[in-house]
Amino acid sequence: MNICRVLCRPKKYALLVALVMITVFTDVPASAEDQRTASNQLNGKLVVTGSSTVAPLIAEMGKQFESLHSNVRIDVQTGGSSRGIADARQGLADIGMVSRAMKDDERDLQAFPVAHDGVCIILHRENPVQALADEQIVAIYTGKVTNWKAAGGTDAPITVVNKADGRSTLEVFLQYFKLRASDVKAHVVIGDNEQGVKTVAGNRTAIGYVSIGTAEYDATHGAPIRLLPIGEVPASSESVRKGVFPLSRPLHLVTKTSPSGLAKSFIEYAQSKAVHDLIRQQYFVPLAD
Amino acid sequence: MLNTLEPHPGGWERLATTFVWSAAALVTATFCWLLGDIIWHGLSHISWAFLTTPPRNAGREGGIGPILVSTLLILGVCLGVAVPLGVGTAVLLAEFTTDTSLFGRLTRRSLDVLSGVPSIVFGLFGNAFFCKTLGLGFSILSGGLTLACMVLPILIRSTEEGFRTVPTGYRLSAAALGLSRTTTLLYLLLPAAVPGLLVGLVLGVGRAIAETAALIFTSGYVDRMPQSLLDSGRALSVHIFDLSMNVSGGDSHAYASALVLIFALLAINGATSWLTKHWLSRRIVTV
Repeated sequence: MNICRVLCRPKKYALLVALVMITVFTDVPASAEDQRTASNQLNGKLVVTGSSTVAPLIAEMGKQFESLHSNVRIDVQTGGSSRGIADARQGLADIGMVSRAMKDDERDLQAFPVAHDGVCIILHRENPVQALADEQIVAIYTGKVTNWKAAGGTDAPITVVNKADGRSTLEVFLQYFKLRASDVKAHVVIGDNEQGVKTVAGNRTAIGYVSIGTAEYDATHGAPIRLLPIGEVPASSESVRKGVFPLSRPLHLVTKTSPSGLAKSFIEYAQSKAVHDLIRQQYFVPLAD
Repeated sequence: MLNTLEPHPGGWERLATTFVWSAAALVTATFCWLLGDIIWHGLSHISWAFLTTPPRNAGREGGIGPILVSTLLILGVCLGVAVPLGVGTAVLLAEFTTDTSLFGRLTRRSLDVLSGVPSIVFGLFGNAFFCKTLGLGFSILSGGLTLACMVLPILIRSTEEGFRTVPTGYRLSAAALGLSRTTTLLYLLLPAAVPGLLVGLVLGVGRAIAETAALIFTSGYVDRMPQSLLDSGRALSVHIFDLSMNVSGGDSHAYASALVLIFALLAINGATSWLTKHWLSRRIVTV
């Protein structure tokens, strides 16, 4: 008897806990896909999947959108651009996220640019070098040129600042200069953009690359850095916005068919001016006004 | 005591001793370095507000409240499914099949293979089966069930070992006293096998709570406070991964989250071990 009493007690607790869990966590069934636009009252759930670069931005936009429409839920999932394409095609996601230009065989999808991601090369402001050709940048980053003298500067060794693996800026950089991650001979490896700016600002012989939004902001707020043009194109958000800056990529939302209802409202919101602050906060460049 | 029994240590003895000690010191130092690094970078960000408020600005600001809740729910679903299934299978393997039976060997072999499968494979399986085929979508339930699949092999094998360490004398004595097999199992073998279950549980929880690859495709990325088990919820490990790899400027909060994860793991392990001891001491006098 004694044994049973002791044995039964935890079971009772477990049952109680299970009951509480069930009542607490099943009261709100997910109202999937009942989207309706009547009388300004949006409700329902949007599933957005795809590029991990875009995901934090869209998640923040989603939160702001939710705060405007209390019956709306925007669920953002990651997995990469190709997943965004595949999920949007198969209908597993209402909207896909793609962090590059659309390819020719993806014309079946509707693509909506929401922002741009631009990367620029930065030097210390006191470095006399005003511009570098693409080949020179490649030579510096692969360790073939190690002194500023060979790149039109003073006699000083070059400090190469590279981004850590997994950063989207690294991908854009490698892709444009047709390099592999293992080709780069770096002296300093940095994480985020701010760190890149600080590293170059504190080292007169350093070369680095960061997101254009951050570099512009810091350069106009007293950081002693210079943004190098690529070819003839000056490095600025303006060039990125116009789509002429080569070291950039558009960030897209894609849908299988022409969007309607909630998806349409959200995409319109994501392209509106209201989210420009959010876009800058995530170090991306907003679309042209 | 030992020293007085040893012969005078020669050169080789000394070398071996040095090697063993430095190997152990290296392991300890690695652990201390890792923990120290995380505490150093993360401790200053930890506060009550950090533990309770939702993340803002992609996790650079705010806290990890909803993420902690999601993590615990995922773990709850995982253990709630894995422990009964695991103990059941272990009982069958240890008590009702012989070592040589085809079924037992087949089950054991499949478990051994399963426990070596990389977690990303479980993630893709969970995404295909739980999310799509069963229609659970990106949800805490899908994540928990996927983790249960991952944890089961570890849990079953160590619980089975627990049963096997119980002396045969117990079973014979119980049979001699006329106790039924169920009674023997419930009141004698199960409590005696609990240490094995505990080892499996600690290893399983460790694997589950640290899991990123399997969860990013099943329980997902949404950092809102979950309202039902069918909601998507971001696990702590996924949050850490995202902050350190995807969100520029998220490193400090990634460290703080990692610190919370480590303490949660230590707390869960400690609690499991304490509960079991406490519970056991009331159920059987000595093993």
